[in-house]
Amino acid sequence: MSVELEAVVERLAGEATGAEGVEAYAELTTETEVSAFQAEVERLTSASSSGVGVRVVRDGRLGYAYTADLTDEGLRECLAEARANLEVSGEDPGNVLPAASDYEALEGIFDPRLAGTPPERKVALALDLEARTRAADPKVTQVESARYGDVVGRLAIASSNGVRGSFAVTHAWCLSIAMATEDGESQVGYGVDAARSLDDLNPGPVAAEAANRAVRMLGAAKPSTRTVPVVFDRMVSPSLIGVLLAGLSAEEVQKRRSLFADKLGQRIGAGGLQLIDDGRLVAGPGAAPFDGEGVPTRRTVLVDDGVLQCFLHNTATAARGNAVSTGNARRGSFKSTPGVSAHNLFLEPGDLDQAGLLARAGEGLLVQDVSGVHSGANPITGDFSVGVSGLWFRGGELAAPVREATVAAHLLDILRGIAAVGSDLRFTTGSIGGASLLVGQMTVAGA
Amino acid sequence: MLEDAIVRKVLSTALATGGEWAEVYAEDRLSHNIRLEDRRVEELVTGRDRGVGVRVVRGTASAYAYTNRFDTEALLEAARVAAAALRDPPQHEVRDLRWREAQIRHPVAVDPAGVARTTLAELVRRADEAARAYDPSVAQVSAGYGDVRQRVLVANSDGFTTEEERVRTRLVVQVVAARDGVVQTGFDGPGRSMGFELLDQFPPELVARNAAERAVAMLASKPAPAGEMPVVIASGNGGVLFHESSGHGMEADLIAKEASVYHGKQGRKIGVERFNGVDDATVEGAWGSFAFDDEGTPAQRTVLFEDGVCTDYLTDLIRARQLGLRASGNGRRQSYADVPIPRMTNTYVLAGGDDPDEIIRQTRKGLYAKSLGGGQVNPVTGEFVFGVVEGYLIEDGEVTTPVRGANLVGDGPSVIAAVDALGGDFTVKEGICGKEGQGVPVGNGAPTMRIARMTVGGTGGSA
Repeated sequence: MSVELEAVVERLAGEATGAEGVEAYAELTTETEVSAFQAEVERLTSASSSGVGVRVVRDGRLGYAYTADLTDEGLRECLAEARANLEVSGEDPGNVLPAASDYEALEGIFDPRLAGTPPERKVALALDLEARTRAADPKVTQVESARYGDVVGRLAIASSNGVRGSFAVTHAWCLSIAMATEDGESQVGYGVDAARSLDDLNPGPVAAEAANRAVRMLGAAKPSTRTVPVVFDRMVSPSLIGVLLAGLSAEEVQKRRSLFADKLGQRIGAGGLQLIDDGRLVAGPGAAPFDGEGVPTRRTVLVDDGVLQCFLHNTATAARGNAVSTGNARRGSFKSTPGVSAHNLFLEPGDLDQAGLLARAGEGLLVQDVSGVHSGANPITGDFSVGVSGLWFRGGELAAPVREATVAAHLLDILRGIAAVGSDLRFTTGSIGGASLLVGQMTVAGA
Repeated sequence: MLEDAIVRKVLSTALATGGEWAEVYAEDRLSHNIRLEDRRVEELVTGRDRGVGVRVVRGTASAYAYTNRFDTEALLEAARVAAAALRDPPQHEVRDLRWREAQIRHPVAVDPAGVARTTLAELVRRADEAARAYDPSVAQVSAGYGDVRQRVLVANSDGFTTEEERVRTRLVVQVVAARDGVVQTGFDGPGRSMGFELLDQFPPELVARNAAERAVAMLASKPAPAGEMPVVIASGNGGVLFHESSGHGMEADLIAKEASVYHGKQGRKIGVERFNGVDDATVEGAWGSFAFDDEGTPAQRTVLFEDGVCTDYLTDLIRARQLGLRASGNGRRQSYADVPIPRMTNTYVLAGGDDPDEIIRQTRKGLYAKSLGGGQVNPVTGEFVFGVVEGYLIEDGEVTTPVRGANLVGDGPSVIAAVDALGGDFTVKEGICGKEGQGVPVGNGAPTMRIARMTVGGTGGSA
């Protein structure tokens, strides 16, 4: 099938006439997902889908169209739509296609074992995960969801500038959500693991993590308002870093929507803080040999020793800003034009694990869940106010659980307040890696 | 979209291994999205997505396979893949597929597909100009218009087939205002299940002005206070709060898993006497409306709370059978690539009789939440957090200083038990609700309402 994708994009790219540039980006995705509930398979989904997106540029204008209909007629219509859409778009120096460049293949993002894994093993893993979660603690009364999922993705790109590329990638993941109940009160906890193949997933620790996180929240109370050191768990810190990510895109900077617009070369974080995006880090799910428009990926240090070094660029933002693409053109799918985003974003891990961070802080709040990030955190203004739940810690030891609290601060104050990054960096399903974070002082508001 | 004979063949293939019932869902979606940013029409995207999903169900277990090819061989292959989850001899046959006629229609006066591209470009430019003209502090405007025509076919081995064409249009404007180093944002985004006539009701100038007004008003804001206080929620916005904090917990998948704070609460009085809430997919032209849900069940109005009593849950076909409840027409999916699950449609808190101005006058000290951002809820505990994107202090019965960074924290049952005023006004807000990775259009509506006590999170110290 990948051969067919290459033929599709090649053909479309070859349709370019005169001064226009044509780029085609095609995907073929095969997915399986299994969820288990009460020792039975609750749902099994398997699918195969494909589509192509066509970008046409001419005289600084852009037209885009996509289709899931890969028949000759479907492709012809799609190209015609893209050309017609170009006519009403505004001129912009960013509307150019990248030049062709060689890319280096990336070993390890495709695990051939996954394609050969029979559905029975996927079902067995989900059932096993469910059973292990239920058995992990007597207070676990229900496993709300135990799931296994995988994706085999292939993509191909071609343009009239001579860009040609294709690769295949695999992902496998499992997730468990445990519900613990005691004295009529219920709490939930999550556990997750991700790898390139089912063979490398470990359902045991996932079950234990989910159960532990649910059980330890039983008896949670609303706190009184106080200012304390806060440790964000590694399952939480990606949502915090995610808010920063928007402001690190050159696109947001150029549109004056970034908190960091005038901060290049300035200290924005605590000393020693390193924020890195690495498109070639195979341990992260965003690894790829080239980005969403065929530009080779690389490792970019965004923040070095607390100082902002650069922004993430695709070809459009680079053309507008007289810069070089950092290979960060990313597409949600063939349905979207290339935007700017990270591949694998993370804070360089430190020496202490989470227990070490708790011991160092002595007393404070461990945040194990945040809510309301998409409404309570504003990447443009830097206002940050989210709901949190977690546990108090005293003398470095976990103590009473806390619910319905909020923490609020300005994002820049949080960044400057990061006293230490944990050694427990882990990538799961998103493009942001999580490590425990210790923030010096934050106001935790409750009743 | 597909011939009955082929659909029957697919359904019987799907039932060949012991499934109780099977379903074919075919979808063909044509969309246009235009976006203006930085005074420039950045892109106009035409999208055509289509596919077919085959589902086999036994009890509460289901297997689903989809493809975006429409040829018979691809459809039969999808049916075989879905059927492979079971290993028994056939137990059920495909009944005669009877045509199910729609009882409700959401009329389209102007077909968006026929609107000239230049008109779309003009539309977003008008929004841009109006927002910039509102106040010199307006620094950035993004405006977008989108329409979608979704054709759906649903056929079920229980013996029906139906088709629906759904048209939705929406205009969204986001404004950034900046003054003296302070930056604030404002948003407005009306949408309806109707054609291009949406713009008669919501001209771009009006939508742009609403968004600009919010951003500019918040420039003078102070950090919000923290602590417990009375909160008056402006009309429309209480619907968002109700949707998140109670509505999700009344979706029957969570009820069936006993993972909802509303499990076992049917017939119990949860809210105050005057509290009435419904989910209603039949409202003509509303954003979350349709004629049939994505399992072919006709759209309905479901009463969730009547005089404070928890009355009904929101079901899809699997949960309705499992729990012995009525199929309420809430089985929805984002696309052919997703299985239907219980979802809300248009979720409304019904108006009371209070004068909205009087509600504020009778509040000595509190928070006026004029516009809420998105929210999040843990349905097991009912706990939620909401961002207040436009908020003001209420002091001695008057709306005074704008405040920023406020969050509302609480839990669904406590909130509806603490409602002590319901206005006679009523408005709706549109959004995309996410659940299990699927986004579906939802409408939320409410009158002005006051919550006697609520936790407000903010950075401005204790209230």
